[in-house]
Amino acid sequence: MTVILEALRYLGYVLVFPGFLFCFLAGMLLCGIDRKLVAKMQKRVGPPILQPFYDFFKLCGKETIVPAAAERISFMLAPLLGLAALVVIQLFIPVFSFTAFYGMADIIVILYLLLIPAISIIMGGAASGSPYAGVGLSREMVTIISCELPLVLVLLAVAKTVGSAMGTGLCFSLSDIAEYQEINGSLITRISMLPAAAAMLLVIPGETGSHPFDTAEAETEICEGLLAEYSGAALGVFKLSHAVKMLTLSSLFAALFLGGLGTGILVLDALLLFLLCAGITAVSISLVHAVTARLKIEQIFKFYWTVVSLPALLSLVLAWYGL
Amino acid sequence: MFKKLIEESTGRSPWLFHINAGSCNGCDIELVSVLTPRYDAERLGFKLAGSPRHADIVVVTGPVTKQSLPRVLRTISQVPEPRCIVTMGSCPQSGNVFRGSYSVAGPLSKYVPVDVDVAGCAPKPEAVIDGLALAAKILKEKRGRMK
Repeated sequence: MTVILEALRYLGYVLVFPGFLFCFLAGMLLCGIDRKLVAKMQKRVGPPILQPFYDFFKLCGKETIVPAAAERISFMLAPLLGLAALVVIQLFIPVFSFTAFYGMADIIVILYLLLIPAISIIMGGAASGSPYAGVGLSREMVTIISCELPLVLVLLAVAKTVGSAMGTGLCFSLSDIAEYQEINGSLITRISMLPAAAAMLLVIPGETGSHPFDTAEAETEICEGLLAEYSGAALGVFKLSHAVKMLTLSSLFAALFLGGLGTGILVLDALLLFLLCAGITAVSISLVHAVTARLKIEQIFKFYWTVVSLPALLSLVLAWYGL
Repeated sequence: MFKKLIEESTGRSPWLFHINAGSCNGCDIELVSVLTPRYDAERLGFKLAGSPRHADIVVVTGPVTKQSLPRVLRTISQVPEPRCIVTMGSCPQSGNVFRGSYSVAGPLSKYVPVDVDVAGCAPKPEAVIDGLALAAKILKEKRGRMK
């Protein structure tokens, strides 16, 4: 009996709260807020907040064309793979003191899982057989490599700060990081973590492929690149993945730097997490989107390996000396 | 219920794909002005898509020259159903001042069923938004008739 209850509880985690349903609703809402905010910053009225939901359901009702040159199975499987990976990450990220799958995964697993959506979109693009997707594919790979270095440095800086406080050297467990922040207050209040937090804020738009770093999906230039041949429900799932990725990365930021704000009541915590995510998205995605123009791919690479990596490295060095 | 949801969403999220079929660039600029902060067609859910596979509404400008005709037809056939075809400006509708020219194959309605014509040389942004909103309504009806 208890086994069945336990299984049902985990099924609930996967399907409802930090899993699919929450990801779908919160991610889409976050995407809508982002679009509305960008519109407001450009002095436009902007689309309704529910616009991403309309887009998704419309795409579900469209014809899905598989090009004759495409590799059918990987073409149709790629979007689902990316979405599944993102939902799995969401299960491992603690909501303040609550973690759906406690002690099963640490930062390193999340780092690997974060690569899967990018790889799935590369796989789908490559399978579509479009030359535009070919161009987008190489750009997407460079973008991943660019973002990876600062992200790893940020995670190391956090791991070192928490680890040296706990006396374990490096602490890669997200639940331990959350616990540490419950006791000692948010990490963002420490001066040594400020540069890392700033770097992480700049990593988020690169990882999600939003505006100044969206060379891989440049719609005016290479016909949306990797997504050029996608239509209908498959495209809808990619759009959903993009929205969920915004949620995942902003809640990762919240888990790393803004922990310890929770109330202990799960519903309130989830609401607070969503509000924090909306705030993080507003600063790191909407604001950056509204004030910049698209970069070239080599500029993205240079930007991430210098301007973003340096503060992250500074944080790591400060953390190493125990500041 | 799900079908109703999809139908409602289709009318609220029409994505545009723009084809220049030998236009003088006047209408193309007017179409872009529709998406600027002053007119902001995005408040009705309109978005310029980069690929015909993502589009719901195809906006054709220009008198459809002989060179562009096969490309226009091929691009339109790449747009997934349900789709709407909107002609913008007088050129694709009647040929305008280019009517009778040796290089013009138009009007477009000779080759594909056109849903909405927005006349004018170039049409005002208000007229374009009106035409596109009408196209979105037709799109919703087309989705309702599917399956």
